[in-house]
Amino acid sequence: MHQITARVVENKEITRDIFRLTLFAPAVARESKPGQFVHLQCGVNQSYILRRPFSVHQTVGVDAFDVLIRVVGDGTKWLAARRPKDSVNLIGPLGRGFTIGAELKRALIVAGGMGVAPLVFLALKLAEEKVKVYTVMGAASKDQLLDFMDLKRLTRKIAVSTDDGSQGHKGLVTDILGKEIEEADPDVVFACGPLAMLRAVAGISRRYSTSCQMSLEARMACGVGACLGCTVGAKDNYLKVCSDGPVFDTQELGW
Amino acid sequence: MGSLEVDIAGLKMKNPVTTASGTYGSGKEYSDLIDINRLGAICVKTVTLKPMSGNPPPRLWETPSGMLNSIGLQNDGVEAFIDNDLPFLSKQDIPVIVSIAGTSIDDFSRLAKMLSAQSDIDALELNISCPNAKVGGMIFGSDEKLAAEVVSKTKMASTKPLIVKLTPNTGDISAIARACERAGADGLSLINTVYGMSVEVDTLKPRLGSIVGGLSGPAIKPIAVRMVWEVAKVVNIPIIGMGGILTAEDALEFIIAGASGVAVGTANFIDPQAPIKIIDGMNKFLEKHGVSSIQDLVGALKIDS
Repeated sequence: MHQITARVVENKEITRDIFRLTLFAPAVARESKPGQFVHLQCGVNQSYILRRPFSVHQTVGVDAFDVLIRVVGDGTKWLAARRPKDSVNLIGPLGRGFTIGAELKRALIVAGGMGVAPLVFLALKLAEEKVKVYTVMGAASKDQLLDFMDLKRLTRKIAVSTDDGSQGHKGLVTDILGKEIEEADPDVVFACGPLAMLRAVAGISRRYSTSCQMSLEARMACGVGACLGCTVGAKDNYLKVCSDGPVFDTQELGW
Repeated sequence: MGSLEVDIAGLKMKNPVTTASGTYGSGKEYSDLIDINRLGAICVKTVTLKPMSGNPPPRLWETPSGMLNSIGLQNDGVEAFIDNDLPFLSKQDIPVIVSIAGTSIDDFSRLAKMLSAQSDIDALELNISCPNAKVGGMIFGSDEKLAAEVVSKTKMASTKPLIVKLTPNTGDISAIARACERAGADGLSLINTVYGMSVEVDTLKPRLGSIVGGLSGPAIKPIAVRMVWEVAKVVNIPIIGMGGILTAEDALEFIIAGASGVAVGTANFIDPQAPIKIIDGMNKFLEKHGVSSIQDLVGALKIDS
């Protein structure tokens, strides 16, 4: 874990209001594992004071990494306005990422909207480990299918759903998940996306007796496990999304 | 160079800066990011006799210049604290303050007795001001008689200095402060968070799972400085001031208003280096103004007559 003032390498609006921010931070790029996150300070100001957590999206070479940022408020607006040579203070890499078991042979990735953020990095790692990867991906519309080409390249089959039907199945990713699980017969499902989607993915995976790991999102203050502000309800206690997660096995959560 | 050394309730601190309980875990969480031993003292998260699961999420909501929280004293209980957290703290070279809370006066006494047996703990902070605990908590801190009773009974059970943390959510904080002093408190820390609430209008729902919570951060700093000033006028025991301290200048405001020490809370979330920057900034201030000791600034507020 490091606290670094990182130089901006690039900040690109990849689709409307979604930016890919590349930061120069060799230690973070080197140490990050898929599913881990960085905690970004959104400028020094006294109006919106807390850092914002972002999944490490991909490492870029050996010295840099990027994050996907959707502009939703003042903090993300500030980040979106960074230009090369500006700097961003970050803490990371943080949290527990995805667990890739040694005996893992087949995996199914489920990405919903911005939830794709940690999953390309994961797919790359899985490909390195010679795991057969299948992907199901959903978004509001075709232009919101982020990283589609990367995931397509890294996976054996990619199935798509969009809310408006502009690409693939018209409807939810969970409408087509069962069929894809049957076809891919994965040892594990890796998912990230909106909470309602994750809940549904957990249920479907359970129905197919497939283990399932998911990366959760939460509002955070410290990001390092100190404040207990970002907890998620598990079976009989609360777990810290920042340091027990953000990736959880659905069994730990009792989902 | 001026001296930052202070003595608060018998704690010899090399500088006046400690951490605000609940924002710093047991210190271990931050130890990769800062040198804990630079702090004047460390105040760890509140422990209770039995484990507490805390409040339902969401527990956080950011507000202009601050944040609401409703953690609810989640902790693994005093035995787990002694087994799992104290060994790390023992290895540090700074005074350790352990915050305690209970749902009854008996809880406080038992905690004080158990923790007094630990030589690596230097002081106890009585949390009678948590707005998020359903029972006990703030109830003790908003009633003079109850506050006095819990302080005197805990004092009897304890061999460590007792610092009492006060709530701003009361009619007359000075009266509570005096009652705690009379009952044997060795020091006071103030303020805990300000009771608050936020609503998501589109869904008509409260932002916090437990509906209400505690506001911290720069938004509450003027309230905290005013309360330190008021309390300092009526007690003779030292005060640790806190509430929205981000910078050395913020910390000095508290000291000039009457605090002997300061605690950094929410600022740790924004920048884990904040306590170090505050210590360095205080040193610079002493140098710039030719002040030989930070103690000369305690309560040094100048009021034109």
